[in-house]
Amino acid sequence: DGAAVLPAPQNLSVQSTNMKHVLTWSPVMVPEETVYYSVEYQGEYESLYMSHIWIPSSWCSPTAGPECDITDDITATVPYSLRVRATLGSQTSAWSTLKHPFNRNSTILTPPGMEVTKDGFHLVIKLEDLGPQFEFFVAYWRREPGAKEHIKMVRPGGIPMHLETMDPGATYCVKARTFVKAIGRYSAFSQAECVKVQGESLPL
Amino acid sequence: GQEFRFGPCRVEGVVLQELWEAFWDMKDVVQAQDNVTSVRLLRKEILQNVSEAESCYFIHSLLKFYLNTIFKNYHAKAVKFRILRSFSTLANNFAVIMSKLRPRQENEMFSISENARRRFLLFQGAFKQLDREAALTKAFGEMDILLTWMQKFYQ
Amino acid sequence: IAEDNSDLLQHVKFQSSNFENILTWDSRPDSSPDTIYSVQYKKYGEREWLAKEGCQQITRKSCNLTVETGNLTELYYARVTAIDAGGRSATKRTDRFSSLQHTTIKPPDVTCIPKMRSIQMIVHPSYTPIRTGNGHLLTLEDIFQDLLFYRLELHINDTYQMHLVGKKREFEFIGLTPDTEFLGTTVIFVPTWSKESAPYMCRVKTLPDLTWT
Repeated sequence: DGAAVLPAPQNLSVQSTNMKHVLTWSPVMVPEETVYYSVEYQGEYESLYMSHIWIPSSWCSPTAGPECDITDDITATVPYSLRVRATLGSQTSAWSTLKHPFNRNSTILTPPGMEVTKDGFHLVIKLEDLGPQFEFFVAYWRREPGAKEHIKMVRPGGIPMHLETMDPGATYCVKARTFVKAIGRYSAFSQAECVKVQGESLPL
Repeated sequence: GQEFRFGPCRVEGVVLQELWEAFWDMKDVVQAQDNVTSVRLLRKEILQNVSEAESCYFIHSLLKFYLNTIFKNYHAKAVKFRILRSFSTLANNFAVIMSKLRPRQENEMFSISENARRRFLLFQGAFKQLDREAALTKAFGEMDILLTWMQKFYQ
Repeated sequence: IAEDNSDLLQHVKFQSSNFENILTWDSRPDSSPDTIYSVQYKKYGEREWLAKEGCQQITRKSCNLTVETGNLTELYYARVTAIDAGGRSATKRTDRFSSLQHTTIKPPDVTCIPKMRSIQMIVHPSYTPIRTGNGHLLTLEDIFQDLLFYRLELHINDTYQMHLVGKKREFEFIGLTPDTEFLGTTVIFVPTWSKESAPYMCRVKTLPDLTWT
């Protein structure tokens, strides 16, 4: 292939939050030119059994920006090696390889975004839509001494959902966390949010 | 969450539906290459009545064979048929499962592990009776039979 | 030079819904209408092709192979041979077929019973054409057992939903406002097989509260 005149991209790193994985690198600067990049990956199997084999990334072979969403390429909970090279016309840089292989079990799981509202006596929750890999565990309780905490598994996010039918005059509190089956990990709980129900008493 | 329970062997961190979807993405392309419709490698009698205790030994042998022989030698075809992504998903998840299997080696387990070994040898024997390329293509195309069997142990 | 008769036969495939397995095929619009078709099938791994009775030298382009492909642990092939009036012929085979993998799930049959402050939803069994040894029809619940769930949603004034999920067949949405219309949907889903039916829908109104009249 073309002579390796272009400098190889530097400072490769992966930012991964809530199972969305983005590979970034420092752009190769060539005045008044658009440099393209190609990203390739190797799972643990490929690196152990066929180390010469690299697989072109789904979305970034090639790409113009100095980053690549590799979420669709990381489909097992194993270390993945990643590499990038620059291309300008017929010129191609050497490959730059991520220093430490990336494993999706290192993703940062944030407490889920949550809106707690009420409709009459209905306690309603809307959770952040984080995609099909996420399950939500919602804990809710009536704020009173010795109150029992109820847990519900909710899926998917993004849809306002009835959680409980509340008693008049009571205050109910809710918190939620996520669970990702593929990596067997939970997020931290969100801050608890509470709502109070008007005090009308039900007709006898 | 859900996990594989092959008798005493437990495996978390693998989502079976992801393996199915990876296989279904390439199923018709792969199976269309297998014109030996009169031979099935993972025959019913090999997969039937596998006890819980036996299942860990058996799946360990099968996955080891798939990773060491079938995936390794099918890779060029995977490039040709443009199914590398599905290929990688299945290979790496099978590698995860295999790395977490710890079949017990105590003496009292010998007869159980031998049963499992006989089953595996029936499969391997059928594989060896075919022409090498035909056998690789057939075994790779029978991963749905393997996944269907594994599914019984996914709880 | 081999004759190209591909116009006689195209898209030979199984269509499967609730384990009713229909073989279908096409021919090009300009092919002669008096073409006749014959169907054979076999289990994957067996040598012999078997002729499907009732689908020999037919002119229609479908054939019900439910009974012949009814063993859920087997995989199957079918093939069609077409012969036109001019004696030209073509044979085409399906992809390898597994009803467990391929079948789609039809919406369930549900009875929605409105009360004053609740709505009861009774899901009826979904029968398949597959028979047990003693002639009983299998239901989806028999086939998928603890892998099958029902997911019910009650849409409340288009702003939020109530959800119920479970394996039993009787559900009740409670804590509702009397004399109010709701949209209920019910789906069958089998997550392990990535199968989900289209929803059964019912629009019902809770009964008025006559306590104070």
